[in-house]
Amino acid sequence: MRDWFSGSMTMVAIAVAAGASMSVTGTSGQAPSTSATAPDPALKTPWGEPDLQGIWTDETDTPLQRSPKYADQEVFSEAQRAELDKQRLALLRRDRRVERGTELDVAGAYNALFMSQKRTGARTSMIVDPSNGRIPPLTPEAGKVAAADRDFRLALLQATETCKRQSVACNGGKYDPTPSPRRADLPPRYNTARMNRHDGPEDASLPDRCLTIGLPEFGAATGSFRRIVQTPGGISIFYDVGQGQGWQRNIVMNGSPHLPAGVRQWFGDSRGHWEGNALVIDVSNFSPKADYQGSRENLHLVERWTRTGPTSLEYVVTIEDPTVWTRSWTVKQEFARQSDRENRLYYEPRCIEGNYGLPGLMRGARMEELAFSEGRGPNPATKDGATDFVGVEDDPLR
Amino acid sequence: MRDRFLRSMITVAIAATSVSAVVSMLTTQASGQAQVARPATVGGKPNFSGIWQANNEANWDLQAHAARPAAVTQQGVYPYEYARVPAAPVLALGAAGAVPGSLGVVQGDGQIPYKPEALQIKKENAEHWIDRDPELKCYLPGIPRAMYMPYPFQITQSTNKIHVAYEFSNTARTIHLDKVEGPPDDTWMGHSVGHWDGDALVVDATNFNDRSWFDRAGDFHSDALHLVERFTLMSPDVIWYEVTIEDPKVFTRPWQIAMPLYRRVEPNMQLLEFRCNEFVEEFMYGNLRKQPLVKHWEGDTITIDITRKVPPGDLFYQWYGR
Repeated sequence: MRDWFSGSMTMVAIAVAAGASMSVTGTSGQAPSTSATAPDPALKTPWGEPDLQGIWTDETDTPLQRSPKYADQEVFSEAQRAELDKQRLALLRRDRRVERGTELDVAGAYNALFMSQKRTGARTSMIVDPSNGRIPPLTPEAGKVAAADRDFRLALLQATETCKRQSVACNGGKYDPTPSPRRADLPPRYNTARMNRHDGPEDASLPDRCLTIGLPEFGAATGSFRRIVQTPGGISIFYDVGQGQGWQRNIVMNGSPHLPAGVRQWFGDSRGHWEGNALVIDVSNFSPKADYQGSRENLHLVERWTRTGPTSLEYVVTIEDPTVWTRSWTVKQEFARQSDRENRLYYEPRCIEGNYGLPGLMRGARMEELAFSEGRGPNPATKDGATDFVGVEDDPLR
Repeated sequence: MRDRFLRSMITVAIAATSVSAVVSMLTTQASGQAQVARPATVGGKPNFSGIWQANNEANWDLQAHAARPAAVTQQGVYPYEYARVPAAPVLALGAAGAVPGSLGVVQGDGQIPYKPEALQIKKENAEHWIDRDPELKCYLPGIPRAMYMPYPFQITQSTNKIHVAYEFSNTARTIHLDKVEGPPDDTWMGHSVGHWDGDALVVDATNFNDRSWFDRAGDFHSDALHLVERFTLMSPDVIWYEVTIEDPKVFTRPWQIAMPLYRRVEPNMQLLEFRCNEFVEEFMYGNLRKQPLVKHWEGDTITIDITRKVPPGDLFYQWYGR
């Protein structure tokens, strides 16, 4: 466990400290797009390309989707940000519990000490297109796929305390003391999320298997850092994400087309070129086993990375998958440059080397089955070994 | 799509032109592909950028060795060490499971100067290779092993950082040319600080843990490992790579390995993924499945029986009946 965490947890602690002490008048969240502004010559590499190098992160918290209560308001007022910062500061280091003695209480193995609370960002959503700041509707076909997946997961939960107590984790499902016969079925599609069954590694979530997807990467409570190193005609980006599930990305810059359609990768295939000051990267060839909001092998990203100042970098990505969403959508983030010294451990991607969680889930399930078969314990199908954090996540931004 | 492709080709061409005005150019001839401009120097220092790979047997065994039938063997008909036969786990791989011979990469007398007790551990490691080698579990390979595993790696050289990305296990390391101090913890991939000694890149690597190995022969180190790596361009497409290995807990004196690293000159070369933790799930966790895929898990022990049905065309003795 120590191996698993030590890499990125240091960063989380730093991020928390930075977020709490940051000036409320900072404007890093409002850096203008620089395609129109004159490039600063100091922001070029010695060989004349735009200089994107350094360690970058989003120092503020902005929700991916805009809360309906802000309707068409794109930017928070200063008063709204101050009030949100005040509410969110109070959540720092809290140890909120759900009802003690319940399974869900034990499942909340993390409390706010493990999470970073950064200062509220300037915008009400990371999504800048469509204008309502929300992910476009699913296509009818994708809606059916998502419903089938949800129904299967609810069937695995139906005989548990989670559904009996009508927890939000059982929303859309119903309690039935008889375990579902679907517990023996294959999931409707390749599983990527934690489910209430641990028959084998494939029943676990991708992060539990140290197989977290790479793109798009918008950050999480455990931190999200990227180190960019450039050379003439080449760019490498190392992502420190997912509690040590870091990965490296080498942008192919020679103008050649994407990989053959049959070559699929967890992190896709990144082909870049310069358009003025912007690094434009086209990403495709994703694996059918990687899932982003329901999008898999047909996910297509077009990213634009633009240096906007000595300590700022703008990132804009357009996301499309006509088999999943009715239109493409665009996310914008503003990154701030980070200290090399404080982040000198960040790039060690160790996960499987200390993954006690995945074998623990399976070992626990086998022990419960044995106890039940010997009349020493309850039917494992009536227990919830999947739900966590319910009733704990009360960040008003999320 | 085609338009975008053409546009990017033009952009690359323009970028190449402007670069050539600043630095002397080395143009890699990539027949039928866009010309990739790679200057011979970055910031006045030799440019090591590109995709490289060792082409030797060092990952099998750093020391000189004759070819052997398999990485894991068992006693055959004769009781002699030289007459052992492949053990069950690799038997079905036939010649693909055999270990190729090598003159070794250890410099000087070719010996690794183990302390007596450490040599005993190395021998046990070799005997328990399948249980112990971190490579089989897809653990981070450590340095120097990542440099000569049979997978490519990519160097991205800037003026203050050199990023090295390894295909195996999607890992990486940053070589700091700007003297960033080491982390407050040990690591698999170490902490690398580089400087230039003339045209040679010299990297001092520390902060290692004691869990990575040097090869599949059980050669190991402790957390006192200290490496000094030296990269010298022999030609535009070959690096001479030397490492001085120091670890007073395990070895009686510093020792050296050296080998060439070759540029992958294929015009369409790029690093692909080798996210092997997915591949080793059955190996690592198969005993914890509700319904084992491999049928011979007994408790925590996997027993592998090999079943190979000889295909009809391979039954040579039948030919005599024709």
